[in-house]
Amino acid sequence: MEFIGYMGDVFTPINFALLLIGTIGGLILGATPGLSPTMAVALLIPFTFKLDATQGLILLGAAYTSTVAGGAVSAILLKIPGAPANIATTLDGHTMARNGQGAKALQLSFLASLVGGVFGVMLLIFLTPVLAQWALAFGPSHLFWLAILGVTVIGSLDSSSVVKGLLSGCIGLWLATIGFDDIMGAQRFIFHDAVAGGINIIPALIGLFAIPQVITMFANGRKPSEAEVLSVERHPIRKAISEVARRTRALSIGTAVGSFIGLIPGVGGQIAGLVAYDQSKKVSSERAKFGTGHSEGIIAAESANNAMVGPSLVPLLTLSIPGSPTAAVLLGGLLIHGIFPGSDLFDNHPQVAWTFINSMLIGQIMMCIFGLYVAGLAARVAQVPNAVMAAVVLGLAVFGSYSVQHSMGDVYVMAALGTGMYFLERFGFSAAPLVLGLILGPIAEANFVQGSMIANATSNLGTYFLTGPLNLTLIGIVVASIVYSVWMELRHRRYTTKDEAVAKEEALS
Amino acid sequence: MSAMWQTQHVVASGIVAAVGVAVAYISYTAQPAQAFLFPRLISTVFVVLALWTFGKALIGKTKVGNGLNRTQMINIAPGLVVALIYIFWAAKGLGFYTATTIAFFILLTLYDPAPHNKLRTWIKRVLITAGFLAVMYGLFAMLLKVYTPREIFF
Amino acid sequence: MRKLIAAASMALLSLTGAASADDHGNYPERPLMMMVSYGAGGATDFQARIVTMTAGNEDALGMPIAIINKPGAGGRVGWNWFATQAEADGYTLGAYNIPHFIAQSIEGGVSYSADSFEPIANWGADPAVFVVAADSPFNSMEDVVNYAKENPGQLTFSGAGLFVGHHIAALQLEKAAGVKLAYIPNNKGGAGAMKAVIAGEVLGGVNNLSDAFRAREAGNVKILGVFDLERNDFLPDVPTMAEQGFDIDNSSVNFRGVMVPKGTPQPIIDKLAATVPEMFKNGRVAKKMKAGGSPMHIMTRDEVLEMWAAREETLQELLSGL
Repeated sequence: MEFIGYMGDVFTPINFALLLIGTIGGLILGATPGLSPTMAVALLIPFTFKLDATQGLILLGAAYTSTVAGGAVSAILLKIPGAPANIATTLDGHTMARNGQGAKALQLSFLASLVGGVFGVMLLIFLTPVLAQWALAFGPSHLFWLAILGVTVIGSLDSSSVVKGLLSGCIGLWLATIGFDDIMGAQRFIFHDAVAGGINIIPALIGLFAIPQVITMFANGRKPSEAEVLSVERHPIRKAISEVARRTRALSIGTAVGSFIGLIPGVGGQIAGLVAYDQSKKVSSERAKFGTGHSEGIIAAESANNAMVGPSLVPLLTLSIPGSPTAAVLLGGLLIHGIFPGSDLFDNHPQVAWTFINSMLIGQIMMCIFGLYVAGLAARVAQVPNAVMAAVVLGLAVFGSYSVQHSMGDVYVMAALGTGMYFLERFGFSAAPLVLGLILGPIAEANFVQGSMIANATSNLGTYFLTGPLNLTLIGIVVASIVYSVWMELRHRRYTTKDEAVAKEEALS
Repeated sequence: MSAMWQTQHVVASGIVAAVGVAVAYISYTAQPAQAFLFPRLISTVFVVLALWTFGKALIGKTKVGNGLNRTQMINIAPGLVVALIYIFWAAKGLGFYTATTIAFFILLTLYDPAPHNKLRTWIKRVLITAGFLAVMYGLFAMLLKVYTPREIFF
Repeated sequence: MRKLIAAASMALLSLTGAASADDHGNYPERPLMMMVSYGAGGATDFQARIVTMTAGNEDALGMPIAIINKPGAGGRVGWNWFATQAEADGYTLGAYNIPHFIAQSIEGGVSYSADSFEPIANWGADPAVFVVAADSPFNSMEDVVNYAKENPGQLTFSGAGLFVGHHIAALQLEKAAGVKLAYIPNNKGGAGAMKAVIAGEVLGGVNNLSDAFRAREAGNVKILGVFDLERNDFLPDVPTMAEQGFDIDNSSVNFRGVMVPKGTPQPIIDKLAATVPEMFKNGRVAKKMKAGGSPMHIMTRDEVLEMWAAREETLQELLSGL
């Protein structure tokens, strides 16, 4: 309960003003395509040079929280996921916005973010020592199995054909191997200068999701689209709250998956949203509605990616190891003030530590309030005519992917992947499994290589990868996930005839 | 759902299968073999699935994917050409802001349903373009300090 | 309309083309960027952000420097880009890590070597250290080597990657102690390698002095030796490898500094070489670096050129034995 004692520090005028600046700035940066939370926080670091440690961290903590939630804005309205965490949000959120329910989608996402986020920070406050052990428990073999668990999600994710879903995943896994391999440093599949450095995930995300969207709008041609006559549904916040409260299953799965997977260093943050989405789809009674603008999809995805914020800092704050890129940037923010995370932080600078954690808690609430406020306005984006929308998304995609690394190569990769993806989508492939492959490939590979090097030096491959309670548990979950998918596939044969499948797709595009 | 539909599917899955075979070939021949262990694994699965899909397309058993009809192709062509010229040449050749202005305006003209013969339409298009560029400049150049390629103007 | 724009563009294009061919007297006229070939939050990135924070001051460059991260494959991705694609216009700076990029260029498979870059100035030197988990039975390098002698090839220890400073240190240790060790390169850099040590995935590790110092403060690791010629001010109680009887010099010390691509106009190089070391000497920079546990070591362009040449030689010799 130590944190309550320092609660007052958040509300001094200067600190609270910084919290507001961090929150609003974070929402804007998070909503900007191409700016992942890591980059947004890195951009704010220079501003903290002039502040004292507590104030600097209030700014960074608030910004971190709200950039993660802000990513949902562009994911929902423009179908440009700001970071891997927001991929799952596009699946239902964007469809909902296109139906004129953008306000509802945004409200649900901010409310779910609030619930997940507060739960995550609470875990950070009360269970830090336990969580630290959990974060350390995952060695190379476990991370490898975790990546494989992610791969099993591929088959059932947003694809009406399991084979094509898996094939999309394979394409993604292959794309991830382009460039230098991370451990040996050998060059692989470099067929053009633009991919010499490998495919950067952010431009790839922008291309794979936004460009097909642009081309689909071209395909409608020069005719008045329904967008202009589409009435944007006003959606009272009260209704959104009761909707979130009703979807307890999606909310609790999202929050739990987000907080426990999100905390595993290096892997969790990127796949938590997708795994939560997939799990809540598997247990939902309205399974078929997922992907058509279903509220459970948004709630699961967004509660998961904000629940991750608190726990993802556990390894940093307790063990002084940054568990995620964003945590690494925050580490820099602490170090320039001469504060070392770990026991030093809580023993000698409790004011800094607890004010920082409190700022994330209060930041969640401020983020939700601002988010709900802009939701109504932002939803009008759905009324923007097709032609304008296509041009705006194209322009944002180009600027956004350039700004990641100031590289034209990234823009070319973005455009090439995006154009290819449009045509693939027309033939039943889908972007979400492809992106999942792109994310999981390097994790699976690097951990397999590292694991086998350790295994060769100490025991042997079999013992290292196949024994131990954590390995066995993970393998069990992998097997269960596959069996469940196959069983559901056989039981439902989701789309029995071609016409049915085509009809469903027409409804979606 | 015709012959054209099936042909499209055969071509599309054929291209994917060809890529798969090429990837597998490189994976199994390139050096150092140690670095290509993982690509071998992936490409094997890739090829199997791609050939399966290709085979299904050949015998006309494809279930999902609408393909493209003639109207859609005609609608897409001009926009796609403008977009690709914009990205692969103009953005660097003319500078980001100039290229974006031109591409944005052309795309509006191409796809905006408003009648071309009214002055109002053109004023509206110019204003939207200017507004968008102002937002982009404010966000990327001023707030985020991203130095984009500049050739002419700004 | 389009013709008009095209014509106007052509006219302006030739104008700006003519204007840029000056003698660089006004350099820099716009903000600069500095490429760091490691991720945001890594030690190189963190230090680069601190040492460049005063660039905008009038007595420095008068223009800010923005940090751009191009991480991947132990720095190869960034340096490859810097050697082949970065514009040599003086507005694109890069951070170098010695011995990393020289070792990688000797190993091959990359498009750069020491001749692809022009050094400007050095800001820091971070020696490698040997760490073990706090609860490890090893208390000195002797314990470690004895274990390795009894279990050849089974002493697993982590480091940031292949052909980076940590790997060089590992090779030197193997050679000096005459044992076979199992070096496990980590794909998440120094932070990932440190996590592997603390979590007990490996028996020990080579890591940056600054990161190890912090981890020891947090009570997670023991530091058994420094891969440098003399003890470090941050760790006066930790003996060097030479003190413990291993013939290891400072080849693995991670020198960090600023460089530009070959082909950058000489007047610009001269101006940077004169200004940048002074910029590093700023008192605020020194204070922040010290607070973060990062050892500073300022060297001028001429000193760096000498150091690069010397490293090239020793690394050639060390790596030829592989």
